[in-house]
Amino acid sequence: MNRTSPGRTIIPAIMLIPVLVWTSQAIGAPITFNTALPVAKGEFVAREQLVVNRSGDDPSSADRDRTEVAAVTALGYGLTGQWALFSVLPYRDIDLDLTSTGQRVTRSNNGFGDLSLFARYTAYQHDQPGRTVRVAPFAGVKAPTGKDDARDSLGILPASVQVGSGSWDYFGGVVLTYQTLQYQFDGQLSYRVNNEAKGFEAGDVARLDGSYQHRLWRSGAQGVPDYLYGVIEVNLIHQDRNRLNGSEDPNSGGTQVFLTPGIQYVTKRWILEGAVQVPIVQNLNGTALENDYIVRAGVRFNF
Amino acid sequence: MKRYLIVPLLLLWSLAALAAGTQYVMRVDGLACPYCAYGIEKKLKQIEGVENIDVDLDKGLVTVNVREGVELTEPQMDQLFKDAGFTYRSMTKHTL
Repeated sequence: MNRTSPGRTIIPAIMLIPVLVWTSQAIGAPITFNTALPVAKGEFVAREQLVVNRSGDDPSSADRDRTEVAAVTALGYGLTGQWALFSVLPYRDIDLDLTSTGQRVTRSNNGFGDLSLFARYTAYQHDQPGRTVRVAPFAGVKAPTGKDDARDSLGILPASVQVGSGSWDYFGGVVLTYQTLQYQFDGQLSYRVNNEAKGFEAGDVARLDGSYQHRLWRSGAQGVPDYLYGVIEVNLIHQDRNRLNGSEDPNSGGTQVFLTPGIQYVTKRWILEGAVQVPIVQNLNGTALENDYIVRAGVRFNF
Repeated sequence: MKRYLIVPLLLLWSLAALAAGTQYVMRVDGLACPYCAYGIEKKLKQIEGVENIDVDLDKGLVTVNVREGVELTEPQMDQLFKDAGFTYRSMTKHTL
């Protein structure tokens, strides 16, 4: 199948990245993935993040340009001091510009995407004055709550423009956090199993993430001051090839590395943050669509 | 005249002293960010009689003032900080 056809077509490798990232963004200091820091028993934390994800540099004649703007809402709940539950729901607005039969066309779609639910358990915790080390495995499921058969005047939209995948997918991993009053390091290893829906199966995704946050400034207040952190993150992401009706798509999947500088302002009740994910390695298969950048801006709050 | 003023003032002072509360200063490990401190404050505020809470991140100390007659116990604080995701170490108690 030609990826520029109006029917269901292959997903650019890059479009799966934000989906995976969203499922692990709920609380804590890293901007592009999770942390092992606690959610107090019986308490809620929330996060709202605006994500602008732009892809282009299409090596194929379709000359695709894809832009997605998503508002991602995440909610965390402390079941106990060790167990926390999270839910993540994106609202997605997607535009895909491409050349089809000699004409430039735009395929667009918007709506709520797939809901992710996951649990995290603090398996190791070593606390000292002003510092902590924690290791927390997590596992979850992505339910196909988003519409995956939207159409426009040209017919059914390609998978890269659908807001839902149509499949039940599973993911898990482990996150490590080392936090002091001056700096924080987080590392995460995760894997996502993507399943088939309507003949299409996105490739599984493995990723390794690292985040270093350094305190640049603190308010003069005694007790619980405000902190300003400079953030640098690295995301190594590998995706297997997609499968269409049982056959591997040679123009999908591959390996990418993102370097993500960011900034965070942290108070007792809320956190303001922003970051730009810049691809520094894109070793993708065939004509898989490369990513230009991902911009993230968000707020988290305790309530 | 002065004598008439001093007597009620002394009486008021002694009543205030009798109604004095207690200050608990607790050492809590693992506290390293402002955002995490809020969960502790919320948990402590749920205790009847807690009047003031001060978290000092730099020193890893949580200071709680309670009104007279209210007592915080070690097992209670151990569980409270465990539920908040931190490690309670010790406390000292002072009458206000």
